[in-house]
Amino acid sequence: MKKRIAKLLAVIMIIAMVSTSLAACGKSADTPASTPAASTPGSTGKYYDKSTSAESIVKDAASKGKVGNWGLGNEYEVQALLAKYGQPITFLSQAFDMDGFDNDTILLASAMTYNELGLVKNSYEGGYKYGDKVGIIDMNDEGVAMLEDNIFCTREFAEKNPNTVKAFLYASMKGWEDACNNPEEAAKIVFEYGSSVSSEHQAYMASEVKKLVETDTSGASVKDYGNMDDKALQQTLDLAKKYIQLSDPAAASKLQSMTLDDIRDVSYLKEAMASGGKFGDLEKTSVSIQLKWLPQAQFMGYYVALKKGYYKDVGLDVTIIPGGGDIGETTAVYTGQVDFGVTWVSNLIAANAGGMDLLEIAQVYQRSGLVLVYKLN
Amino acid sequence: MENGYLNTEAGPLKINAAGEVSTKKARARKKAGLNKDAVMTVLYPVLFGILVLVLWQTQVLHKILGTDTFTLPLPGRIINIIFENVPAILKNVQATVIVAVGGLLLGSVLGYFLGIVAMAFPKWGSGGISIASAFTAVPIVAIAPILNNLTKDLSDDPHIRSMLAKTLVVMITCTVSMSINAYRGFTELKPFSLDLMKSYAASKTTIFLKLRVPNSLPYIFTALRVSVPASIISALVSEYFAEFIIGVGRQIRESIVLAQYATAWAYILVACAIGILMYAILLIAEGVILKGRRHR
Repeated sequence: MKKRIAKLLAVIMIIAMVSTSLAACGKSADTPASTPAASTPGSTGKYYDKSTSAESIVKDAASKGKVGNWGLGNEYEVQALLAKYGQPITFLSQAFDMDGFDNDTILLASAMTYNELGLVKNSYEGGYKYGDKVGIIDMNDEGVAMLEDNIFCTREFAEKNPNTVKAFLYASMKGWEDACNNPEEAAKIVFEYGSSVSSEHQAYMASEVKKLVETDTSGASVKDYGNMDDKALQQTLDLAKKYIQLSDPAAASKLQSMTLDDIRDVSYLKEAMASGGKFGDLEKTSVSIQLKWLPQAQFMGYYVALKKGYYKDVGLDVTIIPGGGDIGETTAVYTGQVDFGVTWVSNLIAANAGGMDLLEIAQVYQRSGLVLVYKLN
Repeated sequence: MENGYLNTEAGPLKINAAGEVSTKKARARKKAGLNKDAVMTVLYPVLFGILVLVLWQTQVLHKILGTDTFTLPLPGRIINIIFENVPAILKNVQATVIVAVGGLLLGSVLGYFLGIVAMAFPKWGSGGISIASAFTAVPIVAIAPILNNLTKDLSDDPHIRSMLAKTLVVMITCTVSMSINAYRGFTELKPFSLDLMKSYAASKTTIFLKLRVPNSLPYIFTALRVSVPASIISALVSEYFAEFIIGVGRQIRESIVLAQYATAWAYILVACAIGILMYAILLIAEGVILKGRRHR
């Protein structure tokens, strides 16, 4: 019996020792991580005044550890902004709704002008009804804009199917032009194709996307759809080199030596737009495009081109494949599951650094749609 | 051995000593015979593992699977990434292990306690336990975001908050297997042992402390054999949804979304190592604590 008790005691001792040693681990892990989050006391009111500068808002929110972003490759502009104002580049993982912003877990939340910002401001279904009670910090104004939605395929696919690529670009750009001229109609078309959001939000999104497609980072208007502006792309690449952290040394060194020629080719778009809709024999007539997210007006150009038969006119049978969650559009295109994809330039850069050979063939969004949104006092 | 156990439990000291001696002899005999087999059982898998590694590094494996070195990077590159990022990996490992072990301990203690409660009230205890077992069917993917929201108010520090949320997820997955097994340990006693205790007019407390608790010991390890791997899996998955971006599982997700497959593989390897190491620790602990006790 004594032996048994001794063994039981030994078990308890072991459990106690393990738990205390782990508790010690826990403390040592928590302390350094929590210090930057709660160090500087700052703001005067609960929220921010209209007159407060972007700099002091960023500094205050960062010192409280309440800057949010979705991560997963969407964070580089926010990190660049934090770095611009001398803050640590850590952020909270933001969910794909704005509840964290609504309940003040996040003071400075990431939002796309065409999506989350609309949900925060507007009062239609799913909206948070803030109206004018929120302010925004625009990445374009802050000089940390990185270009977002583009069209890309693998270099190999482009070289093997030049006519298909040109035809696809021509019809897609026609779709974008049409969508931007009639955003309300485009919103309705997207809604018909199985929308993830309400028709009112779809209409709001279409009107905002139009601005991103037709305005560049400096605010000047752009009329040649899909134009790949070297200056904006170079800024994107420079920021990507600074803020994309790659643990793989091979990928990291590849990223640092990357030039614009490694990520984009303007010739396909140029020839497509000069062709007048005639492309000769298409190497491949049935193609697919992988979207970065769920069906919504963010991708209205492709849906309009499909609905209005622009793809059919050039002899293409196009399938649009919605994304969502962790769908890796770069992987899907690289492995050949789909022919074309829509991604952010930074994601394409990261993928190429990791060993893919992807090629941007059009830059649909001419400016960054990312803003940081905060509540006003 | 079947007898040895019962005798030691209730019989006088002499028989106890005799029983121990006989089991030791049996074990010694077994050991000599097992040695060769034991070597072989270790050797074959190790050889197979080395063969796979060689095929992998020489890219023969890629040809067989029809994949390329991008999706399935070479082991050399993966190992290189691990060595280049030791501090970062350790930080993530620490976060994952704290969550896994913390949740495992909390869940197991709670589960054992639930087992005691179920045993104390046998009328609804067995029914309650079977309802509890339904909880194992709750997917981690479903409860992780809910717990994230529930723990929002617990702390101002998102790091602590998300650690708590993740630990709770692990705790839930570990509680059930422990409560079921503890309940079995308390109730599935040796034939007649309960009658024997009753014939000694032993009180309920005595029966619990001297018969049920020792009897439940092997069952605790049965439960742990399930919960230890489960705790690591739940910790990895719950990191996907956590507010604070840290942990081995989270790094796997981030790397794959960013198309950094070599890095993802490095973290997958680390996750495997954590799992194997924790299971090995459990087996060693079991071997030491249950030495000569396992009667099955």
